[in-house]
Amino acid sequence: MNRLTKLGLIALIAVTAVGTGCTKKPKNITPIPGGMSNNGAPTGDLGGRGGPIRDPNAGKFGGLGGPTSTDLANGGGLGNGKSDPSALPSGDPRAGKDEDRETFKSNTVYFAYDKSAIVAAEAGKINPVIEFLKSHPDNNLLIEGHCDERGTEEYNRALGERRALALREKVVGAGISGERVTTISYGEDRPADPGHDDSAWSKNRRGEFILLTPSKGGSLK
Amino acid sequence: MKLPLLSRMALALALVATAGSLRAADESGVIHISDQAKKTIPIAVSGFSGESAQVLKFDLEVAGFDFVPVASAQYELKGSSAANLQGTLSDTGNHHTLFARAYPGGTPRAQAHMLADDVVKAITGQNGIARTRIAFKVDTGRTKEIYVSDYDGGNPFRATEDNSIAASPAWVPGKLRLFYTSYRSGSPSVYTHDLQSGSRTRVFGFNGLNSSAAVSPDGTRVAVILSKSGSPDLWVANIDGSGLRQLTKTLEPESSPCWSPDGRTICFASTRDGRASLYTVPAAGGEMKKLSTGGITPATEPDWSPDGKWIIFTRGAGEFTLYIVPSGGGVAEPLVAGEDPSWAANSRTVVFTRGRDGARRLSLLDVPTRRVKDVNRISGSSSQPSWAR
Repeated sequence: MNRLTKLGLIALIAVTAVGTGCTKKPKNITPIPGGMSNNGAPTGDLGGRGGPIRDPNAGKFGGLGGPTSTDLANGGGLGNGKSDPSALPSGDPRAGKDEDRETFKSNTVYFAYDKSAIVAAEAGKINPVIEFLKSHPDNNLLIEGHCDERGTEEYNRALGERRALALREKVVGAGISGERVTTISYGEDRPADPGHDDSAWSKNRRGEFILLTPSKGGSLK
Repeated sequence: MKLPLLSRMALALALVATAGSLRAADESGVIHISDQAKKTIPIAVSGFSGESAQVLKFDLEVAGFDFVPVASAQYELKGSSAANLQGTLSDTGNHHTLFARAYPGGTPRAQAHMLADDVVKAITGQNGIARTRIAFKVDTGRTKEIYVSDYDGGNPFRATEDNSIAASPAWVPGKLRLFYTSYRSGSPSVYTHDLQSGSRTRVFGFNGLNSSAAVSPDGTRVAVILSKSGSPDLWVANIDGSGLRQLTKTLEPESSPCWSPDGRTICFASTRDGRASLYTVPAAGGEMKKLSTGGITPATEPDWSPDGKWIIFTRGAGEFTLYIVPSGGGVAEPLVAGEDPSWAANSRTVVFTRGRDGARRLSLLDVPTRRVKDVNRISGSSSQPSWAR
């Protein structure tokens, strides 16, 4: 029993150590500006471009041959006119910019499995990005976060965002305005390598820097 | 004990894990899913043909029935698929007729689904699920769209045509309305989509991540993962996006919220303590608490059974297994290989994803009998099913 208690203690200490080891990062979380107003009023409502049910002969919806499922109608009423299918969130650093995926192609940062911490060997890739942004104040930055396929989908969508935000934290921490840097997570939906092995997975756990240059056309894409 | 440190740690962890599960099991009143394990119900079915015979067989097998010769059957279903489907159900023990019905109108599929639901109701007392629907994500390679179909994959249609990534569909209970994530604007935003009118509205379009929407059982609120605070956290809002409130404030990501049937609690996955585990938090705000799964991690994608008793979730990385745990936490038990579970309204059947990336498909699991049957494949790779309830 005594031994068990002792082992338990060791285990608890081990768990705690592992736990804090993983979360011990600078606790400065930088909010992302922009998007919708606080009252939740959506920016850029969509009209009916989402694809209504294409089968006009009912049957499919509203009556599978029987008396049930007829009470599901909820009327239309949504989609109140403002149709702006390509609307970016307000204040998005991509507004009025073109995406340049080449400039920082070799600066892609790779992550350890299931982690969002930036390992020392990869950290150096961020500095050229920061320096470029400092000397090009009219350029902005989009950071994409990606995962390998070994997590579940929504877990990966969150993990990819966490990776992109970890990189954003470095850039913003080096003095680049948060207004210039935004993130997007693709989770496991955009693998760099479509394979299903270690080699593919290590290429897919990544953060990509996309330079946002003043739009040649001067308007939103 | 001269074991290397790592082995000692592993041993200690194993002991603690064992002690934990023993403790949980010793508590009186702890329920195990295996206690509820049910045998299949033997039924003899004759007289049906063509599509109605196929649909009937599928529906009844998913519901936990076994098709057997009449000599070994507990129930007998006789009928015909002529102009109108007809069925007579009797108990082979006492030769009592439970019902004799005709099913005029509708398609042969719809008629067979109705008859199957009547058989389930007459024998188990439970409402059937044969006339319910699912929504899911279909990956065709470059694009990912949301589809809706009958629960067996019949009558599929594509709800989105965004030519980008659409994901994580969730039904508004009792309505033909979905919430889902779409990247159509260039960023993952959460939309609500009325499937009858086709109209939709962006509900969450903040910079960063907006995803994993889950609507409360009464349809008035929505839980969602947003990163606007600087980290992917759990938020809750009114169904139109107003009254937004942050429920978790961790550095590490949260994902996949689901609601307790009384709408008071939200269960979700978080890596707050280093490894993905399940947590609960009061929907009105409060402390996030770890839900014990007896050391079964990484745990993600929880879904709370509509009767409130169970939480089904995905364990694993690379290889996934569905586990079930009492909703108050305790011993988690493995069910079958798969991920992305979603309960039907009957708190018995689950739709989930199985197979590898690029070739995933949807399957149905009858939890008490552990029976698995594949949903008709639409096209491409299907995942993230959500059962309308």
